[in-house]
Amino acid sequence: MSDEKSGRVVVVTSGKGGVGKTTSTASLGAALAHLGQKVVVIDFDVGLRNLDLVLGAERRVVFDLINVINGVAKLPQALIKDKRLENLFLLPASQTRDKDALTEEGVAKVIAELRTKFDWIVCDSPAGIERGATLAMRHADSAIIVTNPEVSSVRDSDRIIGLLDSKTEKAERGECVDKHLLITRYHPWRAARGEMLSIDDVLDILSIPLIGIIPESEEVLRASNVGSPVTLNAPLSAPAKAYFDATKRLKGEQIAMHIPTESRGLFNKLFGRKAA
Amino acid sequence: MNLLSLFRRGSAPVARERLQILLAHERETRDQPDLLGVLREEILAVIARHVAFDPDKVQITMDRGSTVSTLAVDIEIPNRRRASGAASQQLSQLAFTARTATARSQWTNGLV
Amino acid sequence: MSSLICPRQSLTFRARSYMAFAFAPQPPIADWLADLDATLERSKGFFAGHPVALDLSAASLTPSEIVELVASLAERGIRVLGIEGIEPNEAMPGLPPVLRSGRGAQEIEIPEPASASPAPAPPPQKQEPASLLIDSPVRSGQSVVYIEGDVTVLGSVGSGAEIIAGGSIHIYGTLRGLAMAGASGNSRARIFCHRFEGELLAIGPHYKTADEIEASLRRGPAQAWLDGNTLKITAMN
Repeated sequence: MSDEKSGRVVVVTSGKGGVGKTTSTASLGAALAHLGQKVVVIDFDVGLRNLDLVLGAERRVVFDLINVINGVAKLPQALIKDKRLENLFLLPASQTRDKDALTEEGVAKVIAELRTKFDWIVCDSPAGIERGATLAMRHADSAIIVTNPEVSSVRDSDRIIGLLDSKTEKAERGECVDKHLLITRYHPWRAARGEMLSIDDVLDILSIPLIGIIPESEEVLRASNVGSPVTLNAPLSAPAKAYFDATKRLKGEQIAMHIPTESRGLFNKLFGRKAA
Repeated sequence: MNLLSLFRRGSAPVARERLQILLAHERETRDQPDLLGVLREEILAVIARHVAFDPDKVQITMDRGSTVSTLAVDIEIPNRRRASGAASQQLSQLAFTARTATARSQWTNGLV
Repeated sequence: MSSLICPRQSLTFRARSYMAFAFAPQPPIADWLADLDATLERSKGFFAGHPVALDLSAASLTPSEIVELVASLAERGIRVLGIEGIEPNEAMPGLPPVLRSGRGAQEIEIPEPASASPAPAPPPQKQEPASLLIDSPVRSGQSVVYIEGDVTVLGSVGSGAEIIAGGSIHIYGTLRGLAMAGASGNSRARIFCHRFEGELLAIGPHYKTADEIEASLRRGPAQAWLDGNTLKITAMN
């Protein structure tokens, strides 16, 4: 028995590759599920699937998004339930080379069905501005634009913001997709020395509200290695806390922004302990 | 397997092992049809010859391991009132588990 | 006689596309011109100042007939931007250049004046200067083309974005992309921005890339205008 829901669609996008979309999708999805929400995360990267790997579900993939679109499988058969969080589900991407199989009508049907079953539908966009990326954003109510404090990432994010205002259903209806900036791979040390674009620089250029600042951390790498999102694997670490704060902001809570500062550096470095 | 010892060495060995399993499978199936996928289709076809079932009520789960992979097929079948030949089973659930054993990255054809 | 040898600056060539009306005359040309005159009678000055492309693929005119046709159109206030549908060897010096690979757009309805009865043409209305207001940032990759007049942006213009205006350009934010004013030939057009960090500034055909613009002008308010044939850029305080 399922009570009808009316889920919110969030796209995690960036334009630039390798900035942390998949990591962020997994971390935010797990955080939402941990907070009691029913969440599905969808991998839109046809041919290069990653979300299953980051969630540790790579050995359990049977059916994927394209199988569902083609009618080979029904949606419940393709959804993979997380073993650790009972509210978290994954709809994996296909590994076939058939990008054209990802159709607009097919995606629309899947999203419509998912809206009735989940509180949150988080779409992990591939890099670039081609079909996978535009289809991932097409039905978004909100967007999280993942950006590194680095020039090409910022420019690509600007491009993507422009597309969010033209290639989405909401934009075509004359409405606005809520846009949120998520800064990832932030190095407090390099920012302090002026070797990295500052938060203010990025905000000034992109002019969208900030939803979180995720510091660069070994915990993220460790989490990916073991196949568990950082918010699940190391919930007290700095990146996990930052992701939890961002998740709460996404839900509408007002949380003061914490700018990551340098770890208690020298002492810990001398004694071989790494601060989170 | 002592997870704690793995973590003391760092998470890289865990990553390495996961990748080895995953890529072994992906390389194997890149040009060939997926053995478990083929099994799934044929099993369902055989069952369909004897009993009618709703394809929507079929749950398939898979777990690929380094030496053993498991395919579990769970099908809901309506109960029959009359016995008829060899297929008279009063089943409400047919759960079928297939295990395939691998030697390193080689798939064998035997069902264990 | 000595001559100064100036260091060569490398030229950058960019492709640009514009919307133009396309005329495709059908023979006999005299009849076509009469039809055109009737249209112009109903909507005076509709084509004035707008670039017009002449598609002669259906007409098969001799080179001298082409020259005559272009002159006839000029008499009617229609300036031909280029000619398509002829072989390059048919193009005579003094004629507009030969165009290739034009892409068709939708048919354009020429509006009839409000009064249907044959009343004398209404007195010319005072034209309001046309102007486009954009009240959000222009993002990288977006292109704003507004030949009819000025463009005002309440926000920044991203790197890789372009604003092309027939009139002036006013940016109440940071210009990081391209601004090209006076695109319809208005040499009095200017570009103003609150903060200049742009890639290229142009007024009409005169342009300067970021390299050619003094570094001291960056990060501050600036304006660009034409002094004769020279593009001048100065700080605004």
